[in-house]
Amino acid sequence: MKTPDDEAVNTPADGEAMIVAEDVAKWFGHFQALKGISTTVRRGEVVVIVGPSGSGKSTFIRTINRLERHDRGRIVVDGIELTDDIRNIERIRSEIGMVFQSFNLFPHLTVVDNITLAPRNARRWPKPKAEQKAAQLLERVGIPEQARKYPAQLSGGQQQRVAIARALAMEPKIMLFDEPTSALDPEMIKEVLDVMKELAGSGMTMVVITHEIGFAKEAGDRVLFFDGGLIVEEAPPDVFFSDPKSERGKLFLSQIL
Amino acid sequence: MSGSGSLPGDLERTPIPATEEPVVQVAPTRPPLTPGEWVRRNLFSSWFNGVLTIVSGTLVLFFGFRLLRFVFVSADWSVLRANLRVYMVGRFPQEELWRVWAVAYFLAVLVGLSRGFLIPPHRTRRGSYLRVVLAVLALGALFYLVKSLLVWLLLAIAVALYAGGVAAGRRLGRRLVRPVLVAWLFAFPVVVLVLSLGDVGASRWGGMLLNVIVAVAVIALSFPLGILLALGRRSSLPAVSWFCVGFIELIRGVPLLTLLIFGRFVLILLVPPGLTFAQVVRAILMFTLFSSAYVAEIVRGGLQGVPEGQYEAAKALGLSTTRTMALVALPQALRSTIPPMIGHFISVFKDTSLLAALSFSDLLFTARRASQAFEFVGRQAEALLPAAFLFWVIAFSMSRWSQRVETRLGVGER
Amino acid sequence: MATAASTARPPLWRNVRFLRILGQAVFVLLLVIVIREAFLNLEFGVQEQNLDLSFDFLRQRAGFAIKEGIGYSPNESFLSAFLVGVVNTIRVALVGIVLATFLGLIMGVARLSSNWLVRRMAQVYVEIVRNTPVLVQIIFWYIAVILALPVIEGGLSLWDLAFVSNRGTAVAWFRLEDGAEAWGLFLAAGAVAGAIVLRRRTRLVERTGRSAPRVLWAVGAFLVVAALGFLLSGTPVAADVPEVGRFGYEGGLQVSPEYTALLLGLVIYTGAFIAEIVRGSIQAVPKGQKEAAEALGLTPRQQLRLVVLPQALRIAIPPLNSQYLNLTKNSSLALAIGYPEIVSVSNTIINQAARATQMLLLVMATYLLITLSISAVMNALNRAVTRKGRR
Repeated sequence: MKTPDDEAVNTPADGEAMIVAEDVAKWFGHFQALKGISTTVRRGEVVVIVGPSGSGKSTFIRTINRLERHDRGRIVVDGIELTDDIRNIERIRSEIGMVFQSFNLFPHLTVVDNITLAPRNARRWPKPKAEQKAAQLLERVGIPEQARKYPAQLSGGQQQRVAIARALAMEPKIMLFDEPTSALDPEMIKEVLDVMKELAGSGMTMVVITHEIGFAKEAGDRVLFFDGGLIVEEAPPDVFFSDPKSERGKLFLSQIL
Repeated sequence: MSGSGSLPGDLERTPIPATEEPVVQVAPTRPPLTPGEWVRRNLFSSWFNGVLTIVSGTLVLFFGFRLLRFVFVSADWSVLRANLRVYMVGRFPQEELWRVWAVAYFLAVLVGLSRGFLIPPHRTRRGSYLRVVLAVLALGALFYLVKSLLVWLLLAIAVALYAGGVAAGRRLGRRLVRPVLVAWLFAFPVVVLVLSLGDVGASRWGGMLLNVIVAVAVIALSFPLGILLALGRRSSLPAVSWFCVGFIELIRGVPLLTLLIFGRFVLILLVPPGLTFAQVVRAILMFTLFSSAYVAEIVRGGLQGVPEGQYEAAKALGLSTTRTMALVALPQALRSTIPPMIGHFISVFKDTSLLAALSFSDLLFTARRASQAFEFVGRQAEALLPAAFLFWVIAFSMSRWSQRVETRLGVGER
Repeated sequence: MATAASTARPPLWRNVRFLRILGQAVFVLLLVIVIREAFLNLEFGVQEQNLDLSFDFLRQRAGFAIKEGIGYSPNESFLSAFLVGVVNTIRVALVGIVLATFLGLIMGVARLSSNWLVRRMAQVYVEIVRNTPVLVQIIFWYIAVILALPVIEGGLSLWDLAFVSNRGTAVAWFRLEDGAEAWGLFLAAGAVAGAIVLRRRTRLVERTGRSAPRVLWAVGAFLVVAALGFLLSGTPVAADVPEVGRFGYEGGLQVSPEYTALLLGLVIYTGAFIAEIVRGSIQAVPKGQKEAAEALGLTPRQQLRLVVLPQALRIAIPPLNSQYLNLTKNSSLALAIGYPEIVSVSNTIINQAARATQMLLLVMATYLLITLSISAVMNALNRAVTRKGRR
């Protein structure tokens, strides 16, 4: 949970709505994955999404940056509405960075090239500028010495940190995390969570799907509990994890604790 | 481990003190088999095997002996000696042959370099022995066939260039990838240009030269076309993907020969009247279409091997579809397609022999025609076998190289 | 699906969905333009030659002879000639597929033999044959072997049951006489009897767990009925052994030297590839399968029959399909040696009637039909063997 001191450091436009979802629904064939999600994520907020598998958590955050197309409802990111308009989609994507469960690093490129690929090609940054930014980011995530290595030569935790740096290279306003530590061996989870906590502390707007309760309590502002395509419960982390109000919430916690 | 009265006495196990713990047993290394043991194990391990060995051994000796006797004693290789130049370059005018040598040198260097950095040196004793034997045989054959000192000199230069290329390739390694790739890209137009300037037109290409040119042309042209087809087939636009699927399946369902015949008779009617191109060009065009369908299937396989997450990450980063394909998907896909791709290129080379069926003067046609010449009646085998051997040597070498590239790529280049 | 309810409709030129439709429309339009252009050129070019694009010419008299053609004379139509070509293609393709599969099976197993000599020989065979172009091999068999053989009396003979010379091949065959139809009925009845016996025996085995050679019983039943029927219908099958006559072979099943050479070339060539498929698919069965079977107490023969081979078969079917298609398509190379199959005959027709476009369309459509049929059969086979489980 953020302390009052942290909040004072936050950006001045605190409280502004960065992501607005209104009654978002999505079908896959006959199966309805999202049944009407409505929520607002404010600037600087760290929203943690939990829930059983198949509850629609992944589908939801993937609709935010158009990796999936929502079939009903409204999604507005930083004032831009997510429609079929190419320009809107591109602008929204440029403001969102995403970190995947399976890292999805490009195996044929070095760490540095992984990070600089998008800025150089989608933003037309010159190589020196991109590489300087990459160096800074690698420093920030704690692995500056791995710059010239290939992903296969790094541990899982290091790879995920590179993935975070890669997403940050595009200078996003929002970071989405889809179970970032679920594919990691236990001893490597901490290093990734530390980076995420630092990110949260620096005022980044984050939506994180995770099972790491410790992280949720330390860095999260709000917990959304998904089940069956709906937000069943919404509460601050220490409230939800100690005393969930809903039956399904209680059931879920009894299964993971 | 010691029971303290809970187990009956005879089941009690005495505890093993740690110091006496037995050493971990590794599988004992087998001493190399003596020749006698080897024969017994590999050839006569059962009575059935013994019978097999005797039968097949007899066959091998019988046919082997007859083959050797044929090659070295009873065969009359004069048909080859008289026609060597026609076999190799067809009716290429003699005064322009320097062009062929120039191209040969260029390719020798290029192939040498490619081999140098792609294929690890083959350092087995048996490999070296084999190499020496082959070299001796090759020299012997050349002694018999080539009487001109000039040709010997030119050949020696070619071999030297090739060996130099291999050495340089091994030394310089990965740095060469880009320049060599670019050189290969330019190889085809350069080769064609050099060989058609002056008075020499495409109609004068013949013999092995024709096969090589057509093979190189088809490979160079069908590679990008095949990639485009594969991308089209994966397109999310149904119109495009259906067209590509239909095109690919149509081409794969008909024999190459029918496509070549189509090129000979019908293609010319489909283009604006007045526009015409040489028969060889038509053959190359149809052959390219044929090859690109197969390249497309190979590339499609490679693209399927690229995990979906790669595309998602690229999309999330804001890369356009084209950029994603070019920078993320294709580089990964193509690496896994190298072995089947080389296999396909070998097939293309072998299939250039189909030109003979349409009376193009390639190596096979030349050999067949030589066998029909009056003075060589009854010597069909002597006329054909060298052609078969030439085809075989090149295809076999390429397939050996492909296997070694495969093992090298598999051993975690990255 | 309901569309996204949005407040602002994006302009058409930036709308993702519209652009997709537009892209496809443009593509189709370009395609149509190119095809139309080509077609107009074709019409023009064809008219220049005083020809047309119809298929009516197929009914004209052919006027040329075909060396190997059932029920054909030069008075027949072009279409008849073409059909003779189709039959000839099927003749060589079907026989080729069967023989090549046998050869490939034997060679593939030989590649895995524990006998070093057998293994090496098979390897040499595969490496030599695979890397030599098939046309080279066909022409080699034709001009260096078959044609080089002496005339009839001097030719090769296999125990007087088969003869090969440069006039062709003659193989002992059977001849159907009166009563053959009756025997056919008996054969059908025999097949039914065999199936019934198989079913009953299988149920018996399942019920009592006794291992009974049920296939043997079924085959036995079939044979008994067949033999009975044979006798009862007056032994309607006679052996037809070829004899070396003065002007040629008499009797037996005769085929031309061209057919012989083509078949030899195709079978030996495709056999090498099938050998590799057999070897590869047996090796592709995970070692753990064999080990598990062994651990369960199955004998090596049972392991092979019940565990390894069925799985190897499933793996092998798609590449086998490929090879069968290749063999069929390679039969077109008969053009180079004058065996009158589809391409050869069509070439002659083009020389006579000059309608290359129509003929080529016909040829390609026919090959597509044949390859699709073969693939359909193989796909059905594939489904049948994978039905019982995954993979």
